[in-house]
Order: sequence, then C-alpha cells, then structure tokens
Amino acid sequence: MTHLPYIAASYGLTLAVVLWLGIGAWQRTSRARVKLAQIDPRGDVR
Amino acid sequence: MGAVNTTSLPAGNTRNLHRFANPGQFLRLSGKILPPIAAISIILASVGLIWGLFFAPSDWQQHDAVRIMYVHVPAAWLASFGYFSLALASASSLIWRHPLADLAAVEIAPVGAAFTAICLVTGSLWGKPMWGAWWVWDARMTSVLVLFFLYLGHIALVRAFDDPQRGYRAGAILALVGVVNLPIIKFSVEWWNTLHQPASITLTGAPTMAPSMLWPLALAALGGSFGFSALVLARLRAAVMERRIRALTLAQIRTGA
Amino acid sequence: MKRKHQRMLLVGGCVLGLSVATILVFQAFRSTGELFVIPSKIAAVAPKNGRAFRLGGMVEQGSLQRLQDGTHPTVSFRVSDGIASETVTYVGILPDLFREGQGVVALGKLASDGSFVAQEVLAKHDENYMPPDMADELKKTGWNPNKGSPPAAALWNAPKVSG
Repeated sequence: MTHLPYIAASYGLTLAVVLWLGIGAWQRTSRARVKLAQIDPRGDVR
Repeated sequence: MGAVNTTSLPAGNTRNLHRFANPGQFLRLSGKILPPIAAISIILASVGLIWGLFFAPSDWQQHDAVRIMYVHVPAAWLASFGYFSLALASASSLIWRHPLADLAAVEIAPVGAAFTAICLVTGSLWGKPMWGAWWVWDARMTSVLVLFFLYLGHIALVRAFDDPQRGYRAGAILALVGVVNLPIIKFSVEWWNTLHQPASITLTGAPTMAPSMLWPLALAALGGSFGFSALVLARLRAAVMERRIRALTLAQIRTGA
Repeated sequence: MKRKHQRMLLVGGCVLGLSVATILVFQAFRSTGELFVIPSKIAAVAPKNGRAFRLGGMVEQGSLQRLQDGTHPTVSFRVSDGIASETVTYVGILPDLFREGQGVVALGKLASDGSFVAQEVLAKHDENYMPPDMADELKKTGWNPNKGSPPAAALWNAPKVSG
C-alpha cells in the first residue's frame, strides 16, 4: 500500500478515540451502579 | 382512582416532581436498547471499515490514500449531526424544560468534540499526501475548526457555574447560537473557492463515487451513527445515576445533620 | 399564549435573527472567504505591492515543462480558469496528485514580467472517486484526464437497469 503510514495513523487514531470513549462510558456506568446499589433505598436500578 | 392524588397537585409541584423524576424508567428502557445499538454499531462499523481498508478498490488517482475516506467522512458527518443533536437537546431544554435534555446536552458535547477531532486529524493525514499540505485556512477547514471550538466552549461553559442550572442554560444558548455554523460548513465548498473538494454524495444528483466505494462508506457511516448514539446513551445513563447519587447523598446529609 | 410557546418563539426568533445576520455579514465580506484568486481576476483582486497570494485554477494541458535549475527541480506550467491563464514557475517537489488537467492552488508572488513565482504548490482533487478500471473505461469513451475532470457522474455512475 502506498501512503501506508497515513492510512494506519488515521485508522489507529479513530479506533483509539472510540475505544477510549467506550471504555470510559462503561467504567463510569459501573462505578455509578456500584455506588447507587450501596445508597439507593429503592434499589433496582440497572 | 389512583391517579387523583398526582393530578390534584399544584402545577409548580408537578414540575418539581418532573425534574427530579425517578430515573428508573429511563434507566430500564435505555438499559434494554443500549446493548443492541452497541452491537449493531460494532458489526456495521467493523464490516464497513475492514471492507474499505482491505477489499474496496483504490482510487484511480489517489490510490490507497483514498481509504482514509472511510473514517474521515463518517467522522465529519457525525461531527455535524452531533452538533445538530446538541442544538435539539438545548432547544428542548430551553423551551420544554425536558428533565433529560440538559444532561443529554452535557453528554453529547464531548462525544461530538471527539468525532470532530477525528475528522480534523484524519483530514490532515489525508491532505498531506494528496494535496501537499497538513492544513490550509480554507472555508471548509476553518468552519470545521470553529465547530470543534464550539464543542469545547460548550464543555467548558456548562461546568463554569456553581449552580448547574445556570451552566446548562448558558450552554444551551451557546449551542443554539452555534447552529449557524452548520450550513456554513455544509455550503462552504460551494459559497467560496476552497482546497477541499465539493460533496460527492448529494440529494440532487448521482453520487460521484463508484458503488464499490459507496457501499463500505455507507456501512461505516451507519455503524458510526449507531456508535455515536450508543456512546451518548451510555454516558447519559451514567449521568442520570450520578445525579441520583448526588441527590441521595445530599438528602442523607440533610437528615443526618 | 402559554409560557412554553413564548419561549419557543423567543428561541426560534433568536436563531432566525442570528442566521440572517450571519448570512448578511458573509454576503458583505464574501471575498474574504475565498482561498485563492483565479487567473481572470488577478488584475482586479490580487494584491499589487508584491505581496504573496494564492492563485488557483487548472493546470493547462500541454503547458507543463520540467526544467533543471542547477540541482533544483524546476517546473513551469500555466494555470487556467477557462477564461484567462497565468504562467507559474516553481522550484521544488510537486505533490503526487499534480498533473495536467488537475486543479492546483499555488502560493506566491507576481514577478515583474507578470508571471507567478510560486513558493508552494498544492494539488486539488475533484469530488470524483472511482477505481482505476472505471477510469480506464471512461478514457476509452474519450475522456482525457489531462483536459480536466470526468464527465458528469450521471453518465458513468447512474444505476444501470438491466433487461
């Protein structure tokens, strides 16, 4: 492939940013879920 | 009748209840639709990008560098659509005072900013080998950079006030003011002469792109759209839970004191 | 009128007013948004006092000459907008996409003889994307890439109805 470094950098960066966003959102959700399970009197929040 | 109690409450009270409504229903519903949306996104985007990267033909003059299109173009579309959804959330916050709209706006902005950043950087990585420049201050590139700063401005503004409600309101006004940038981005390549070429896919004419390239692009864009929605929805779920945690913690402090 | 409707009118009115104002401002300063000057507008628009500006247009067919200035690769070509054309000289390496029939944007200054001395040449590609075999097919039907962009997409990319 010609211009391989440019193509690889584009796909690599896109994948990295999307993974970073996805993992970040997932961690935030599970942290909040654990905390909520401790203090929510109503419970049952998934 | 069970409904009598709630309907007989004064208007001010229902608005309050509305605002701090039990998040359970939103969380249950969004928890059901989030996994399929995420799965569809991963499948479509993977197929589209692998197709574009390895199986789609190269371009007759750009050769393999054209493959950057399959990440650049969906990111560019989603940068604009993301801002449009930010403006919609802001409008429904200002007009209808929808309880989720403020939180949605706060969670859309960072995702939109990330996709705009992807668009700008991949555009640069495409421009250097093809045009011969990483960056030129033409109308298209400048207006997309303005879009990026609008997102960053929104992110900073909603966090700049001690009272979150004032931050939400300021952010919503900024988001609506920034909407004028969207047609400027879209039509920049027609209103002015630019280094960036005009759109290949329009509503009015045949696409100026071979079908063998159009298909993977469409899949990548569709997968990207589902991915954008899934990211925003996941963040919104977290934000709703965090708001409930704050409310419960405050209540505990009050009753404890 | 309900407060909700008042707010709706207020928000809608503000967005509308702002849009109109922005469009008017852009109309007034239209030329400031342009990236480059086309050859037929050089006399009217280009800065006079030897300041650098961007010249844009298409590389004229048959105008490209590769010269050698000592050890430096030097090229000379004409940039045309279909009405007028301008001779450009450039010392340096051209981008991969540069060829006759391609759009270019060159940054440089007017020399005393009226020609354009470029310090940077960028290639502009059009909105057509097609695999090499499709381009070959089009060339067989008479399209010469060195003369300009391919024919309208509807002629080569319209969905074919078989039977």
